[in-house]
Amino acid sequence: MTIAMTRARRCELLAAAPLQQLLETADACLDGQPAPVLLSGPDVGTVVMTVREPVEASRFHLGDVLVTQSTVEHRSIKGWSMRMGDDRPGALAAAICDAEVEAAGHHAAAVEQLCNEVEHGQAATRAEEWHRLEPTVVRFEEMGE
Amino acid sequence: MGYVAAKGGFDAIRAAEDLVANTRLEGKSSWLDLDQIIDRLGYAVDRVMGEGGLWDETTAARAFRQAEGDVIESAHLVRAHRSTLPRFGTTDAVDVDEIDVMRRIVPAFREPPGPQLLGRTLDYTGRLLDTPDEDDARRSALEAAAARAEQPAVDVTEATSDVRVPGRLLDVLRQMDLAVDRRSNDDPEPADIARVPARPGAPRSAVLSTMARAESGALVALWYRNILGPDRNLHEVTLGEVRHGRLPVRVQHPLIDEQVEIGNVRVTEVEAIEDLDGPDEDRTKFDVGYGLTFGHNERKAIAMANLDIALTRADAGSFLEQSILMTTDGLDSSGFLEHLKLPHYVTFRSMVERKTVERKTDERPSTEAVAS
Repeated sequence: MTIAMTRARRCELLAAAPLQQLLETADACLDGQPAPVLLSGPDVGTVVMTVREPVEASRFHLGDVLVTQSTVEHRSIKGWSMRMGDDRPGALAAAICDAEVEAAGHHAAAVEQLCNEVEHGQAATRAEEWHRLEPTVVRFEEMGE
Repeated sequence: MGYVAAKGGFDAIRAAEDLVANTRLEGKSSWLDLDQIIDRLGYAVDRVMGEGGLWDETTAARAFRQAEGDVIESAHLVRAHRSTLPRFGTTDAVDVDEIDVMRRIVPAFREPPGPQLLGRTLDYTGRLLDTPDEDDARRSALEAAAARAEQPAVDVTEATSDVRVPGRLLDVLRQMDLAVDRRSNDDPEPADIARVPARPGAPRSAVLSTMARAESGALVALWYRNILGPDRNLHEVTLGEVRHGRLPVRVQHPLIDEQVEIGNVRVTEVEAIEDLDGPDEDRTKFDVGYGLTFGHNERKAIAMANLDIALTRADAGSFLEQSILMTTDGLDSSGFLEHLKLPHYVTFRSMVERKTVERKTDERPSTEAVAS
């Protein structure tokens, strides 16, 4: 059983979705629909990565992060996406998918299915990474007296 | 000898540019793909991102390839590219306590909260040059990839957040009342050194940003100068946290005004613990310096954390502050150095003329000698 996800969570997963699957899903969303209206982008730019350090609990800028963002109107609903890197096709496709779900379009379920797959894939990748890291945990032995 | 303006050399410069580009394209080996650089030369890519001040592995790899492996030149390309891009805004400030570790050691404390996780590190690899047969090595790589693909899936439900996001040693020291508490309710807007260069008197946020994108070798050299060199601003530093992990990148969703995590960046983080022993310091406590940089670059983060605490303890307007802010940027220093290769014909001619005049003055008999 899959649980309906929030729009914010959906955007996170669309930001992480593999490009090819994302493009195929967006193409399906556009099938039989007029071309989406590009309200902004897709544009490549940066966001400043700000962190809060632990010593003074103060903020500083670590550097910039390359991102691509896009806002579209599809099925008369606005969709938005931001993906890391220089990825205009991906950002545009993710924004279309976002709008498709908000508009309860015919392919909303396919978009959510893609999001669920991405979420499962992230969990699997993380688990596999820990499986490889865990043997490097140091286990100290107390020396006898 | 008067000054004569001259121009020229454009054809030679263009030919030199072509020589670089053509040699890159006509290399005797196969074309180097970006994913190979990212996958096989990760430390160099990370260093370019850190010194270029831009997180994007593909851009860094592209710059590294174009610069033919020259890291400072690569960082220069990245910064130049970044300057052409619009800035969409600022991420929501992420608390570094959220680092999802792939490596975490605490040299100061055997049993910190969370594991001593060696992770992937070159620290324990023997420094013996590996000289395998190239065909055997390629075959081994293929076999290893195939074996990994056939491994059974691991349990994805196993909770690991307590070990992947461990507590930090600084909090342990605080609980033991052993650390100076420099936290305050002030939350000043961080300085943006990409827009306004940091100069002495700059806030700590500017100092940290400057070191985060400083040239790694410059930071290490400045650190060493303060350990063994004449400056001696560092004494009994012990490392607390040394981490390599991921930090989330969160932005505001413009349509629903909620935070959205669009991905993550890898960072190296270090805490450096200093034993306070100054006459005006609380000798019952330690103080801590902080280092953080893009990618996996422990030398740089360690130097940064050490220099942060050294600067905290130094007098206002110290040479150390000037050294950190004015001499550690790779583009600044190498740019100034490399400009020396440009024609200095006029400058040098004026120097020659001064020497000639000086010599004539020296050869002229003095008034006293003439009088006698």
